[in-house]
Amino acid sequence: MTTQMSAAIRLNLALLTVIVVLMAVSLIVGPAGLSPRTAIAALFSGDGPAGIVVRDIRLPRTVLAVLIGATLGLSGAALQGLLRNPLAEPALFGAPQAAAAASSFTIAFGFASATSLAVPLAGIAGALVSIGGLVLIAGRRASLAVILLAGLALASFAGAMTALVLNLAPNPFIALEVAFWLLGSLEDRSVDHLMIAAPFLIASWGVLFVNARAFRALTLGEDVAASLGVDLLRTRLLVVIGVALGVGASVAVAGSIGFVGLVAPHLVRRAAGFDPARVMLPGALAGAALLLAADVAVRIIPAAIELKVGVVTALIGVPFFLAMIFSERRMLEGSPS
Amino acid sequence: MTALLRAESVTIRLSHTDIVKGASFSLARGELTALVGPNGAGKTTLMRALAGLIAAQGHIEIEGRPLAEIPQRERARMMAYLPQGNIFHWPMPVDAIVGLGRYPHGDPFAAPTDADKSAIRDALAATAMQSFAHRAVTTLSGGERARVALARALATQAPILLVDEPTVSLDIRHQLVVMELLRKAARNGGGVLAVIHDLSLAARFADRVLVMESGRITAQGAPAETLDPARIAEAFGVEAQMLPFDGAEIPVARRPL
Repeated sequence: MTTQMSAAIRLNLALLTVIVVLMAVSLIVGPAGLSPRTAIAALFSGDGPAGIVVRDIRLPRTVLAVLIGATLGLSGAALQGLLRNPLAEPALFGAPQAAAAASSFTIAFGFASATSLAVPLAGIAGALVSIGGLVLIAGRRASLAVILLAGLALASFAGAMTALVLNLAPNPFIALEVAFWLLGSLEDRSVDHLMIAAPFLIASWGVLFVNARAFRALTLGEDVAASLGVDLLRTRLLVVIGVALGVGASVAVAGSIGFVGLVAPHLVRRAAGFDPARVMLPGALAGAALLLAADVAVRIIPAAIELKVGVVTALIGVPFFLAMIFSERRMLEGSPS
Repeated sequence: MTALLRAESVTIRLSHTDIVKGASFSLARGELTALVGPNGAGKTTLMRALAGLIAAQGHIEIEGRPLAEIPQRERARMMAYLPQGNIFHWPMPVDAIVGLGRYPHGDPFAAPTDADKSAIRDALAATAMQSFAHRAVTTLSGGERARVALARALATQAPILLVDEPTVSLDIRHQLVVMELLRKAARNGGGVLAVIHDLSLAARFADRVLVMESGRITAQGAPAETLDPARIAEAFGVEAQMLPFDGAEIPVARRPL
């Protein structure tokens, strides 16, 4: 027990260290070409153009990457815990797509500016519908086939709604802006974006972490978990709300960023002893590190136009997902439904 | 003395069909009660209703209190339920699985107490699984998994134990080990209700037998009163022969009728 506990602490400390290093890199790297020394000095003094670059441009972007990455990692870990399946992730169920459709609708049709509170609220509502629908359809047995088919349908529907928004956009500039934003990016995010999203993101952590022990009990199936005193309805409801809050607010400020929720928990699961409760914190930390690394990468990779971070996570995430399916093939083929 | 568990006229309807029809019985302290009956008789449905997992008409009482009025976590401390199938979704270590039996005891964020640790240790020792404590549960054989699942149920130290087919997939030695464990759990002051398919095991180990046929409990009492060839023929459609065993007689199935 104690050795497991200290292994968990070591894992979390290691991940924290990685995050701190990546945060420093993220503050130093950028098109302004500041030297590391100037960047660090400007962070603390805030003087001159360098101060503006580091404090107003790079710092919010860095902090958003950490918060959103952690939220996506935690959302993945929570959905995997609830559905007892390592392949569960919000993006597979259309949650970001639904959030994007709802948010882009409010922007494209001029109901709100991109930094108003209406955008994350719309995003949360969109994600709520998609994750809520999924958990409702998955039902008691949460069989893989039903989850994936329902997720596919929900994701396709959310995609169609986004296409509809683009189709009906009042002018091509708005359509282009929405399209870019859907790719997922942390570029040019301000303190305003941070302030809008942060409360929802942090609230989602609270709502999701409460279920840690319920996820552990669910490893024995829903009947035994219920007989042990787990309130299944409450657990499902909290996960739906928590994931919707986190994913909805993330998408509202950063667009759609996929696969962090799938990859991050997987990276730490073995080290956490496959215990769905112990996967949560390191899963969140790994998510923060992954998104931060991806966001640093888009700034380092030489390209005429800066790559969008959502494109990078998808490009890395999809092959990873295929590899996971490949390695879990036997389990998937053996699944009774 | 109030019975540990009492069911009166329990009827359970699932998708417009009565699966259990007016079942009445009680579970006494110190007794191992076997629930026997052919496949589809409604045994598992009855067990799930007793565990509070599905709704039932009629009365179910635990220590004199209506089941529906007992809060979920308190109920979980009074009654441990072990369904068929022994599901383990994640390859967690055995001691962590057995530790889940303590779920209803602690507060969600507290570290395991000394009582938790000793309950886990006792449960592992009772099922002879100590040497497997750190093994991933998914690497174990079917029989070992069954013992882990039983250890988890024992770790709750609940006065009532509801077990559904605990000896399925066990070799003959471990069938005896498990039956002795269940009897010991009863002798320690608990009440055990176990669905058993093997009538000779039921006759040897149970203090009382409930015979269930198409949703009704058709006989209850001591094994000698309930498991005779006539009733076995009627309930199971099997010709049984009584063989002398340890000064009593136990039924052995001979051929299907």
